[in-house]
Amino acid sequence: MSWIPFKIGQPRKQIVSKTVERDFEREYEKLQKLEEQTKKLHKDMKKSTEADLAMSKAAVKISGDLLSNPLCEQDQAFLESMNALDTAMKRMDAFNQEKVNQIQKTVIDPLKKYSSVFPSLNMAVKRREQALQDYKRLQSKVEKYEEKEKTGPIMVKLHQAREELKPVREDFEAKNKQLLDEMPKFYNSRIDYFQPSFEALIRAQVAYFTEMHNIFTELTDQIDQGGLTDEQRKQENEAKLNELRALSIVADD
Amino acid sequence: MRPCSVTQWTNLHQSESLAQAFPSCTPRFSSARDTKGVPDMANSLKANVRLMAKDEIREEKEEAKEIDDTLEEPTEEEEEEDEEERKARAAAEEAAARERAAQRQHMTVEELVQTERNYLKHLQLCTVTIHSNLQKLQPPPPNLENMFQNIDEVMDVSSRLLSLLDQAQTHHSDPKYLETLCESFLSLSQDIEMAYKEYLANYNNITSLENSYKQKEALWAEMVRTIKSSAPDVNASTLSFFLVMPVQRIARYPLLLQTIQKHTDPQHPAYLILEHAAHTAVQINCRINEYKRFREVADKYKKTENLTIKDKINRLSGHSIAKKTARLSQYIKHETGMVPKLKDEEFDALAGFFFVLERGVSELHANMEAYLHYLQRFLSCSPEEADLDLEGEKTALFSKEITVALRQWIYPSYENRLKTLVFKPLCSLQELMAGPRNLIRKRQDKLLDYELIEEKSNLNFDEQAIANTYKTMNTLLLTELPQFNGKALQLLWATLEAFSCLQRDLAADMEQLATSFTHQLPHSYLETGEFWKWAETSVLEGSRRMESLCQSVQDELNAPIVQAPNPICEQRLKALTAKHGSEKIYQLTGPVVGTRDLDLTLSKGELVAVVSEMDTRGDRRRWLVDAGGPRGYVPASKLTRYHQLTVDPPQSPHLNVMPTGPGPRRHSYTPGAQPLPTIVTTPCFQVYAGYDFMARSGQELSLRAGEPVRVVEPHDKRGNKEWSLVEARGKRGYVPSNYLAILPSVIASPTFPYR
Repeated sequence: MSWIPFKIGQPRKQIVSKTVERDFEREYEKLQKLEEQTKKLHKDMKKSTEADLAMSKAAVKISGDLLSNPLCEQDQAFLESMNALDTAMKRMDAFNQEKVNQIQKTVIDPLKKYSSVFPSLNMAVKRREQALQDYKRLQSKVEKYEEKEKTGPIMVKLHQAREELKPVREDFEAKNKQLLDEMPKFYNSRIDYFQPSFEALIRAQVAYFTEMHNIFTELTDQIDQGGLTDEQRKQENEAKLNELRALSIVADD
Repeated sequence: MRPCSVTQWTNLHQSESLAQAFPSCTPRFSSARDTKGVPDMANSLKANVRLMAKDEIREEKEEAKEIDDTLEEPTEEEEEEDEEERKARAAAEEAAARERAAQRQHMTVEELVQTERNYLKHLQLCTVTIHSNLQKLQPPPPNLENMFQNIDEVMDVSSRLLSLLDQAQTHHSDPKYLETLCESFLSLSQDIEMAYKEYLANYNNITSLENSYKQKEALWAEMVRTIKSSAPDVNASTLSFFLVMPVQRIARYPLLLQTIQKHTDPQHPAYLILEHAAHTAVQINCRINEYKRFREVADKYKKTENLTIKDKINRLSGHSIAKKTARLSQYIKHETGMVPKLKDEEFDALAGFFFVLERGVSELHANMEAYLHYLQRFLSCSPEEADLDLEGEKTALFSKEITVALRQWIYPSYENRLKTLVFKPLCSLQELMAGPRNLIRKRQDKLLDYELIEEKSNLNFDEQAIANTYKTMNTLLLTELPQFNGKALQLLWATLEAFSCLQRDLAADMEQLATSFTHQLPHSYLETGEFWKWAETSVLEGSRRMESLCQSVQDELNAPIVQAPNPICEQRLKALTAKHGSEKIYQLTGPVVGTRDLDLTLSKGELVAVVSEMDTRGDRRRWLVDAGGPRGYVPASKLTRYHQLTVDPPQSPHLNVMPTGPGPRRHSYTPGAQPLPTIVTTPCFQVYAGYDFMARSGQELSLRAGEPVRVVEPHDKRGNKEWSLVEARGKRGYVPSNYLAILPSVIASPTFPYR
């Protein structure tokens, strides 16, 4: 590892086989990618539901302000319609709030919970790496001593070095094994973990939009004569605006 | 419509055969990763445990080097080799990643084709077999033909697509196949649009017709039986199970094409055409949607003679409203500060109405702007992009389809309509309000002037002019304000109608799409209340699993540091425990180097007893510790409580051999119940100096680490076991007992069994 500029030489024999190392790296990369995606999804879902709630509240304000406009006091027809509009918006907002609550509990919170495991895993991987470094260092030391003349002090050092090496090696191997076991297990656990979230998301949306459809069909039947296509509406609006523009009081002199 | 099998996808992830082909060496841990993902953990771990930064690792290496001077440096050759190896490995990994992406791409392409075939098969099953069987029912269901309108064109275009692909006679792993696929799709895109357009516009009739069948219990039971017997392999119990498939299919194309695009290298020859195809698929959906709207309105056109509210509004003019003057004149005073004149009752009423209308329009405009702003924020997120690698999972896939449709054409077209039919007219209307407003103000000014000269009988030329100006303005406003008010009100009304209509249409689209998946969900059989109970329970369970996983990982991390069990450590532990109590025993989590007076230099894993949790100046980051001989300060951050799992260290000076086997993590001083292996029972021991020792008086003896010594007495004259009288190099003197290492005398052979 040339990113650590330590002066002690590399151990002669390869401590961890290339295959094992590569497997480890691949599994870890998968996890890192999953971590990124989980975080992004969490962020996006949060932002999206916040905007959704804000939209709904803005719609309620639209109808609320209209209802409190003195025009309503002037005219019964206007009042009735504004009432209907306001009621519709408020009901939609209530259903929206319920939908958002459901999504918060079944999608957003689980996402967060899932993400919270990654720091621990990352730390465990770091620790494994540290253990590997220790292992390599001590292995190196032992090998150096083994190559020397067998004098008393050297033998003591060799023995000590071996003693130091043993638990460190076992520590590394335990960590390595644990992670090689845990990482794929955790990665695959996402399937079962998130299945309820996706199903809940779909059902929450179905419930909300079904209600919304009913509410606004009722409202539109009440206040919209219907029978206008978008083109026709555009044309009517334009015609009205032109009539207004044709008035002299509109032209500002 | 069956999605790709889950096993296929999982196999892709574990494609060992691919990986074997590419060798790689040491793991990459880029420095960027080191700092990521640590925050929460770092807080939750004890403050004493810290990450070893690269620097510390280096520090430790350098210390290790200092301990033994006879170690070599790596040759330049070795470093060069590393560099080359790294490059080769990086290239290999890239190639492997590309291979994986290519595989995914192929799978999605295959999925597109395969699902198209299945889809067509199901439709044919429905329109041919089920249809004819239903016709044979006595009595046959009324209007049955209407259920199968327009489906022929859909099936036709689907089979044409498939035959184009079959004719090409390239295998789908051939890169040319993708090109063929996109070309075929694009060449048929107009026909696809035509066919699906009609089908979708008519689909509501299908659902309402089926609902009418459901009302008749006996008939419906018969129909369900017929369907099931005609299609025993399919888990269908309604006609709409089949008939909803085109609705889903057309929405599926964008997702499939985008997924293929995601896994395709931009350098691929077919990339551009693929991009075009994906884009076209979205456009097709947008236009189908627009057409659907158009048809809905045209079909539902109701001629009614009842005065709807709109008609009532149309009959209003500003004039008739203005008759109710009292409140409105108050309004003028309130909002504009102008004082209404009694004699200008009519005018004041008109002006009052105008201002009320103006306020309504400007509020609505501002509110609508805010609404659009949040709508755009909503659309700016793209949660469908982070699919958590769940492309093969059914439920996740459906959710993604809904999200893609929602964000790529359903909501965007809603936004478009909102802007065109509601917001823009409001903007224009608001602008037009400025003219009358200014004119009313001017008239007010002129009125003041006029009042001054009103009573005069003889007016000079200028005064005449003033009077005329006022009168003209007044008349103009009196004539035209009612028209303005009336038309502006109508326009306002039109925008509100449109707003309501748009909400309804949006909801209709989303409901149709989302509902089409519901019977395919695993828990669709659960009633709403039951479902949410199940969902919440599952989520709780999942959360518990995560917590316990987190906990077990943390437990591992917090375990005491492994170190070689050696008699010196045991002795020190025993001594420190006896002197200070086991609650005071701490372990060094990393090496410390003393920089100031009274700072200790210790290595990682050493045991100390804490005497004081702060220094003489009250600094709680420096703790006074007893290191079993020397006393001094170490940084508190490097200390962690040492939990002794057994109070009695092994009594005999036998070498403590570690048990073999995997098992749970071993710490030093593992609990007593472990079998001592049968080896290493040589009674022959040699004592060595474990560390260098500098004699500080004539009584003491200097030693070099590794030097063999002979213990004369394992205590000093006063019986203090901390000092031993030893003989070395022909001299005698006292040395600290814990500086001695007791080792078996036969250690030369490397075959000495350590396990």
